[in-house]
Amino acid sequence: MEAEAARYIAKGLIALAMLGTAVGEGYIVGKAMEAIGRNPETTNNIFPKMIIGVAMAESTAIYAMVLFFVV
Amino acid sequence: MEGNFFQIKGDIPDIAPDVVFSIGSWPISNTALQIVLLLVLSISFCALVIRRFSVEKPGKFQIAIEGLYESMVTFTEQLSGSRQKANEILPIILSLFVFVGVANLINIIPGLTSITWDGIAIFRTPTSDFNTTLGMALAMIIFIQATALTRLGVWRYLGQFIKIKPLIDGFHQGFSQGMTALIEFGIGFLDIVSELAKILSLSLRLFGNIYAGEVLLVMIFGALAFVLPSLWMTLSLFFGIIQAIVFGALCAAYYASSVPDAKVIPK
Repeated sequence: MEAEAARYIAKGLIALAMLGTAVGEGYIVGKAMEAIGRNPETTNNIFPKMIIGVAMAESTAIYAMVLFFVV
Repeated sequence: MEGNFFQIKGDIPDIAPDVVFSIGSWPISNTALQIVLLLVLSISFCALVIRRFSVEKPGKFQIAIEGLYESMVTFTEQLSGSRQKANEILPIILSLFVFVGVANLINIIPGLTSITWDGIAIFRTPTSDFNTTLGMALAMIIFIQATALTRLGVWRYLGQFIKIKPLIDGFHQGFSQGMTALIEFGIGFLDIVSELAKILSLSLRLFGNIYAGEVLLVMIFGALAFVLPSLWMTLSLFFGIIQAIVFGALCAAYYASSVPDAKVIPK
């Protein structure tokens, strides 16, 4: 196999990282919305923590993007 | 620049910024020029606009600015957990919010990126350059660790990472506690790695979002130059604000988790 072809296959595989990140972020936001729906007064307390959690979950996708450019 | 009526082919921006000119052997890139522009803008905003605000007769603009400030302050308080910590870190976190937010959004002004010098655009979004974001993340983590060092003192600070004393105490209590302390000892070294990983993830998150946004915009222009790019530009405006909030929020959270309260620590 040529090196260029292998590189494209690797990039395609790296794009699969979006799958896991999307599931993780959706889970975090969904749970936060559930909590806010149960107890709307805690919105101000939950929202910043949700933002931080989403940012943490997103970092795996960012690592994948860096790999995408490196490969 | 070629293509048909529906497609505008552009060049995908380089990861490295273009060097506009150099002073001696010191290269000045277009992102650095835009940082200077941002600093001049924000300083003149403070000097010319904020000075004219009055306590007796607040205008509409003043109320809007003060509302924005209030919401950023309460947000920082919620993140850092206590009023006192929020007051300590407020100036630097608010500067980060404003700088990253304005830097992400300013290139929406039409024609700003079309100003060229010798065929090189003299302005480019600073946060789409990895040097800028790495510099900011490095400065923030060094600031946080240095504050923790001054609060805790050298030995207790090092004791956070190299847990020799809990190891000895654990083996004095018994074998199973000793093995637990051994695992804790290993985790202490992992904490050093995680501090380094914080720098990388903080800087790469901001850079990746903004740079990927620019690349995707060029690609979308190449696919269909009508309607579709405006949708994506709206979305990237939103991402610009969110990333500014996330950058400041994570710095505040790291500060709150690594730096102890000033009162609690006995001298």
